[in-house]
Amino acid sequence: MQEFRKITVKVPQQCLDLVNQVFEIEKKISQINEEHSIHRNINKLRDLIENELFKGTGGTIGLSYHNPIGENYSDTRTDCEASIAGTSSDNLEIVEVIKPIIFYTYLEDEKMMKAIVQKAIVVAKSKEVTL
Amino acid sequence: MDNTINFGIDLGTTNSAIAKFVKGEVVIFTNPQDYGRSTLPSVVGYRKDKILVGPQAKTFLEKDPKSVVGVFKRKMGTSESFKIKAINESRTPIELSAQVLKELKTFVNTGETLESVVITIPASFDMIQSNATKEAGHQAGFKQVVLLQEPIAASLAYANMKKIKDLGDGQWLVYDLGGGTFDVALIKIKDGEMKVMDHEGDNFLGGTDFDNMIVEKLLIPKIKEQYSFENLEEEMKSASGKHNAKYYVLLRRAEEAKILLSAKTSAEIVIDGFDDEDSNEVDMEVTITRSEFNELIRPSIDETIEMIKNILTRNSLKAVDLLFTLMVGGSTYIPYVRQRTEEVLQIPANCEIDPTTAVAVGAAYYAATKQKEITKDDKPKKQSTISIRASYNKASKEKEELFAARITGNTEGMFYKIVRQDGGYDSGLKKLTERINEDLPLVENAYNFFTLTIYDSQNNVIETDVEPIGINSGFGISGQPLPEDICLEVDDYDHPGQTRLALVFQRNSVLPTKKHMTFPINKPILKGNEQDRIWINVYEGPQASLPEANQSIGVIEITGKQVSRDIAKGSDIEITITMSESRDLKVSAYLNMANQEFKDVFNPKERETNVNLLKEQVSDLSEKLDEEIDHATEKEDYETAGTLNKLKKEMRTVEEETEGLTTDDVTDKRYQLEDKKRKIAQAIDVATKHKRLQKVKEHYNDTKVECKKLLDETGNDHERKTFNDIVSQEEAFFSTNSPLKIQEKSDELHSIIHQINWRTPDFLTRVFNWLKVEHPKMNDQTQAKSLIDAGKFAVESQNWDRLKEINYGLLDLLRKEDRPKFEHKIGFGI
Repeated sequence: MQEFRKITVKVPQQCLDLVNQVFEIEKKISQINEEHSIHRNINKLRDLIENELFKGTGGTIGLSYHNPIGENYSDTRTDCEASIAGTSSDNLEIVEVIKPIIFYTYLEDEKMMKAIVQKAIVVAKSKEVTL
Repeated sequence: MDNTINFGIDLGTTNSAIAKFVKGEVVIFTNPQDYGRSTLPSVVGYRKDKILVGPQAKTFLEKDPKSVVGVFKRKMGTSESFKIKAINESRTPIELSAQVLKELKTFVNTGETLESVVITIPASFDMIQSNATKEAGHQAGFKQVVLLQEPIAASLAYANMKKIKDLGDGQWLVYDLGGGTFDVALIKIKDGEMKVMDHEGDNFLGGTDFDNMIVEKLLIPKIKEQYSFENLEEEMKSASGKHNAKYYVLLRRAEEAKILLSAKTSAEIVIDGFDDEDSNEVDMEVTITRSEFNELIRPSIDETIEMIKNILTRNSLKAVDLLFTLMVGGSTYIPYVRQRTEEVLQIPANCEIDPTTAVAVGAAYYAATKQKEITKDDKPKKQSTISIRASYNKASKEKEELFAARITGNTEGMFYKIVRQDGGYDSGLKKLTERINEDLPLVENAYNFFTLTIYDSQNNVIETDVEPIGINSGFGISGQPLPEDICLEVDDYDHPGQTRLALVFQRNSVLPTKKHMTFPINKPILKGNEQDRIWINVYEGPQASLPEANQSIGVIEITGKQVSRDIAKGSDIEITITMSESRDLKVSAYLNMANQEFKDVFNPKERETNVNLLKEQVSDLSEKLDEEIDHATEKEDYETAGTLNKLKKEMRTVEEETEGLTTDDVTDKRYQLEDKKRKIAQAIDVATKHKRLQKVKEHYNDTKVECKKLLDETGNDHERKTFNDIVSQEEAFFSTNSPLKIQEKSDELHSIIHQINWRTPDFLTRVFNWLKVEHPKMNDQTQAKSLIDAGKFAVESQNWDRLKEINYGLLDLLRKEDRPKFEHKIGFGI
């Protein structure tokens, strides 16, 4: 029988704040046409957060974050806290991301596991229907 | 046997909570689907096929009011019901409250079934409203429901926190300002009993109004000052307005700022991401000060104070007659609320209890004093008569996977719910029929666990034979595994002038994969100087082999001619190597100092050979061959010498032909020569491996003897253990026949020797004496002299720790002189 251990994860708020800031910088950079040099630092930061931040503390890997912009939103998505803009609440997609989803990744029995430590804060809106 | 109720529920208008009294303390249960949140929004939403309770329902409250209901508490005790569009039926406030209570039951993770509970009600509830609450409790499956008034609950929480056994005779106010409602009550202890003497309230005043005010009254005007908008309010607040989405963004940011202002005196709100009517991009930062915010909410707070004044007047009370105003509800975190009430009323504000959980906590304390009136039944969880057969893919690369199940048995009145273990997916409560079909969303590159839970009509868990659902996404799905190691050629600092291989990807790694490596450059690359070079040389083949014996996949050459400025020794080079599923190798090297990136894409199936590098490699190989022949002859290893000699003729041919190559040669000649070179290298490798292996084994054995001797003389337990660990593995690493691995072990033994030596007085003194002689060669003579003087003193006073430090210090002064001059080939190494 497959079993999984329920774990309690407590990530210091400062780490989450750090990740949120990196995410915001990344968002801003993606809108500027720059020669990739800042992108590189962001990637390095991301790499450090994902692989080095909690290294050595017994089996943990690190934090990773995901930007759900453009993805579908429905009432089953408990990984996002959403506000709905517009008149309709059908067929929603995520149009604004204020905070990303942050996962705590860890290895368990050689399986890569992820636990959500911060839900994304988003605004969703009904998809524009082009006729 | 514990026969008290112990469980307390705060069934609030906007938020609810559940708590339990355990061994003298109260525990608040948190929402298993909402990471650490201890409150549940009192909102119920309906869809055609499911019921949502809590945060997911709240999201749709504003935009889907026909199918999602909140604040139904206000209608408790009335005959009004809510028509629910999605299911084409009506639901009463009792049924909706029952739904919230059922959901709260799922927070309880202690494995017990709840049959008795204390539920709080507002001070304003009459008989009918109170009975309606009891009824809701029964519908949720509670056999025994005891009611408690909210302000009393809050007061009990306070009393228990202060460990006041006896509050004596006194009176105070309970001021409850939450997310959406305000209530104030006058509490008095009379004849040992706590009673609500009077109360007032406003059902439409709370913290969410404050967020709105910030956006409407502070932010929007400031935006209009700087940018041109005809009718910004409407465009933001109206559902059909152009900037409705931005309104919600600002609302969130306003809420964050509001919370910050409880701790700091000012907060910034960023407003960006949309254009005004002249196509100017809105990009501003508005600072809100605490005093601005206070001014904003003052009218609302003053309203609450008026209500309190009414109570005082009605009851002929003066400020001095009241002990304090107990602050309850999240919005009482706002400093101004406490300040202003104190200021105007002249009654001290009491903020000693946690405002968000006070009512639930008080209810639990009360529940601990109440006996259960039903027999504690140790009956096991309801045995189910249903059986579940599930089928789904255990591994997937898709974003979603279908979970299908067939249910046999009586499913009447049952519900099911599927949740993802990380908290990111919740199917909602759905009616159980003979089939389940759900699309489960997967987190990429992770092992996704889902649980399927079956409930009865009162949200009690029904035990079934269903197992946790596990689906592995992306990571670890076998595509083509890598057939050989992929390595990067680097300078070998243990054998200066030579190179070795650093492992990038191990064979059998799963593709696609990626690696970042950063190295400091070990020689300067001067701008314009073509002779200064860095090689990024990627090989396919065993990492333990010598580079020249492996298959070169691709080379990037960086010369002084290409760099935009001088690259100083010590600056970083960042190398990123990515391999796709189809084994395309993307290599990029970034020089920090020059802010330049060099990249290329290679495929092991296509070849690229850099002629300059080839020439160097051939020349190196030829030298090496000669060396090995000499060496073998010296050692009278005539067999090896013979084998190697046979290679000489071919080596010479390759040398000549390579010399003749131009860098822009278009024929296949370079590939042929590279192949030939590689074959020769392999042959040399094979012939001499034995020799290298012997040498390394000899060195290991010598080191081992030396180490053992030292250990016996002055070793400690830890060092002995380390030594024994290494020696016990001898058979294992000797059998690898890998000179590198055996060398590693010698190095480990050397570490032990070094460690022992550097605390042995005899050794330290000898080193010091030698350094004294070398004194004239040192860099900083003054520094050297003072260190030597200190050293002499250390020897006399037998301060060996100090002597060790002094020796290190003196060695530092020597190093530059001593450094042997050799050339680094690659430019970075390990």
